[in-house]
Amino acid sequence: MLDKIKKDFTTMTWVLIPVAIAINIAIGQIVVLLKLPVYLDSIGTVLVGIICGPWAGALTGALSNTVWGLFNPDSLPWWPVALFIGLVAGLCANAGLFKNWWKVILSGFLIALTAAITSTPISVYLYGGITASGSSFITAYLLQTGQGVVSAVLSTGFLVEPVDKITTAMLAFAIVQGLSKRLIARFPRPENAQVEEGNNTTQLVIALVVVVVVVILGFFVRNMLAS
Amino acid sequence: MHERLSYYVKRDSALHHLNPLTKIILALSLILISFISPWYWTALFILLVLIVPLCFVGKVSKEYFKSALRLIIPASGFIFFMQAFFQPIGQTVIFKFWFLDVTQESLAFAFRVATRIAVMISAFTLLLLTTHPSELMSDLTRRGLPGQFAYVIISTLQILPQMQAKAQTIISAQRSRGLDTESTFLKRAGSLLPLVGPLVFGSLIEVEERAIAIEARGFTSTHTKTSLHDISDTSFDNFLRWILIVLVIVTGALKIWLS
Repeated sequence: MLDKIKKDFTTMTWVLIPVAIAINIAIGQIVVLLKLPVYLDSIGTVLVGIICGPWAGALTGALSNTVWGLFNPDSLPWWPVALFIGLVAGLCANAGLFKNWWKVILSGFLIALTAAITSTPISVYLYGGITASGSSFITAYLLQTGQGVVSAVLSTGFLVEPVDKITTAMLAFAIVQGLSKRLIARFPRPENAQVEEGNNTTQLVIALVVVVVVVILGFFVRNMLAS
Repeated sequence: MHERLSYYVKRDSALHHLNPLTKIILALSLILISFISPWYWTALFILLVLIVPLCFVGKVSKEYFKSALRLIIPASGFIFFMQAFFQPIGQTVIFKFWFLDVTQESLAFAFRVATRIAVMISAFTLLLLTTHPSELMSDLTRRGLPGQFAYVIISTLQILPQMQAKAQTIISAQRSRGLDTESTFLKRAGSLLPLVGPLVFGSLIEVEERAIAIEARGFTSTHTKTSLHDISDTSFDNFLRWILIVLVIVTGALKIWLS
């Protein structure tokens, strides 16, 4: 196990991580400049997850928020969320979920679920559910309608995160496809970035069914929390 | 777009001479205590009685108050208003606005959360004002943190300003050839890729060169590395660290005992 993890951390990985963190922050700022209603501040993390494996992705996420915290201390407590985003992106890539467009959307959806679930305890415990971000208006509205704090925060997460994380996954996929094969081959997991030929309809149908089941289960759990 | 990356101000003070690890533990324990303490006024007490005087001890009060105006007061103020309006707790309504009502209880809760956030940001600001990032990293490496972690943090701090400058250049270049970054939503979303693409590809291509360069300088060597700088670590540092850890444990025990 430990040796397997060590194999993912080559010098190329260690050099990629700071660049990925800088990409996270720089793109996050470009998005603010373009006034788009998303964050897109984990593209670098997902990128490392794809080509260097889940553990490198997790480390990138955690360190990304630590470094960002050096000049914006408000982002420090969110490091576990970034860690899980990198980890899940890497696990999805290992499972072959970064090989064509609809699989990437599925990965984005899975990353979004993880982000929504991991950010809930932080938001609830540190801020009482209402944080400094704009999506808190939705949380506040749900709180006013009489929902519990946990279910209000979770519902907001499930509403807001998928748009952001699916876009993130798509952009990371586009970046990996744009890099030369020779460069990708120098990283520990070049096989995760290979594009699958042909369209597999059965897989697509299975994936759609899984997504629908997860959404229905999510509502079920939310209603259980609310009652 | 251009933010200052390092808060550090070089001064000659008792706080600057403390060991970096002691200062991290100081910051973390102040934050932990303010979050777990059962006493309502703890966070405000820590802020006024500990952090502000420590700024004077560290001779960074001017910089601290500047960042308080720029960062701490806006951040905790925003959280205060959000919480006061949106927390649906309490019966004693002070005033109503549309579907929102401000109650005595929600005001009290908002004040508590806001002061805690203020302590969190202040403690880190104080740490960053008095500790140089590379000093912090070399002290942690000396205590057994793998050198690669120190490389990642320090290298990010160096790459980030370059990357931001590059982003600025790309934005200007794309605008001058007519890229729309200000009109409708769809146009703005469409201009994301022409901005992100050149920035990301440009910096990823440098990765390989950088890897070869640091490998040639013994990055993967397993020998013990020596440091050029000597970082002070007195017995007072050690004493202070233990006191702080004990204080956090006592607060945690008090919280469990009282609840």
